[in-house]
Amino acid sequence: MADENDDLIPPSKPLFPVTADDIVDNALQSLDEQQAREVTKKAADEVVRIAVEKRKAEYRTDRAQEEMRNLINNANLLDEKVGDYKINSTFETATGTTSVEIKKSKTNFTLIVGGLMALLLVILIFVFLKG
Amino acid sequence: MALSVVIVLAVCLTTFVLWNRSRSRTAPRLTRSQENANLVKVLLELEEEPREQLFTLYQEQFGTGAARYARQTYQKWKEGTVRPNKQTFRRFLLNLPHVMNFDLKCEVLRELREAYCARDTYEVTVTTDNWKQTLTPMVQSVFEKASTAELPQSISRRLTWLASDDVTVANAILAESQARETANALTMLEKEFSNIDELLNNMQGTGKVTHQLKLPLGTIILNIRKGKRDG
Repeated sequence: MADENDDLIPPSKPLFPVTADDIVDNALQSLDEQQAREVTKKAADEVVRIAVEKRKAEYRTDRAQEEMRNLINNANLLDEKVGDYKINSTFETATGTTSVEIKKSKTNFTLIVGGLMALLLVILIFVFLKG
Repeated sequence: MALSVVIVLAVCLTTFVLWNRSRSRTAPRLTRSQENANLVKVLLELEEEPREQLFTLYQEQFGTGAARYARQTYQKWKEGTVRPNKQTFRRFLLNLPHVMNFDLKCEVLRELREAYCARDTYEVTVTTDNWKQTLTPMVQSVFEKASTAELPQSISRRLTWLASDDVTVANAILAESQARETANALTMLEKEFSNIDELLNNMQGTGKVTHQLKLPLGTIILNIRKGKRDG
């Protein structure tokens, strides 16, 4: 009995679910000659399109690399000449967009140090007067 | 007995009210006319060459006068300032696909997939040392999505030509294309991280780098920090 049941469903051929590949295979077999030719042409066009897009993307990466190097040089020049600066830059790369923010703020640092020293002085005066 | 019936009814009523409220909050339902307008808008996002093919076909099928009106109004349909009527929708999205060649059908399908296939967005912080390990699970998910993405049922039910054999094949070609484009983008990411690493290592001051990785069916926003290995 068990053998009979086994024969009903061949092990290599599941009845359900039909895979996405099966659906595409069936659809391909149902196409007429003209449609099949159009499909082959479109598939070839897509391969070329993707290759062209990849080449364009590689070019964008090279250009972004060059622009990033320029940004580093400009930021380092600024760093030597001025205390405070903030640079925002955006690069179109192969895979998307890179945003960079470079900043240095000596004024803020000086203010914080000055503030802390003033506070310390006030505390010392307070302690001295109390003592 | 009566009390239990009242309790059951009250529970049912509360559940219904809550379900209805949450449903209306999550997805504002579009009217049929708004849905049609959106579909026509998506169709008109076609690149210049296929769009021209579409209008030529429109003229062949529905006459010079109708085609002239369509050409004059297309920008307004696209911007949403004029809403296409039911006949325009039927002509563009129900009648024309039956006479389109395979190439044009593929391009229309590409626009529909672009507009209606669900997309994922992730945001993650990585360092120039660990980005590969951190990105792996997200990339796998986006890659899988690119290979298996399908249009929502609501669209497939209305545009019945989407179920024809040649469109099934077109869908498979476009899904494969998107999977390959995703794979290409990921191979190029290595070079981009090397550029970002160079930037973070050579600049003075404090740097903040964000990269928006745009894949066919998902976006990953990467907040990038300098790795420890680079000192």
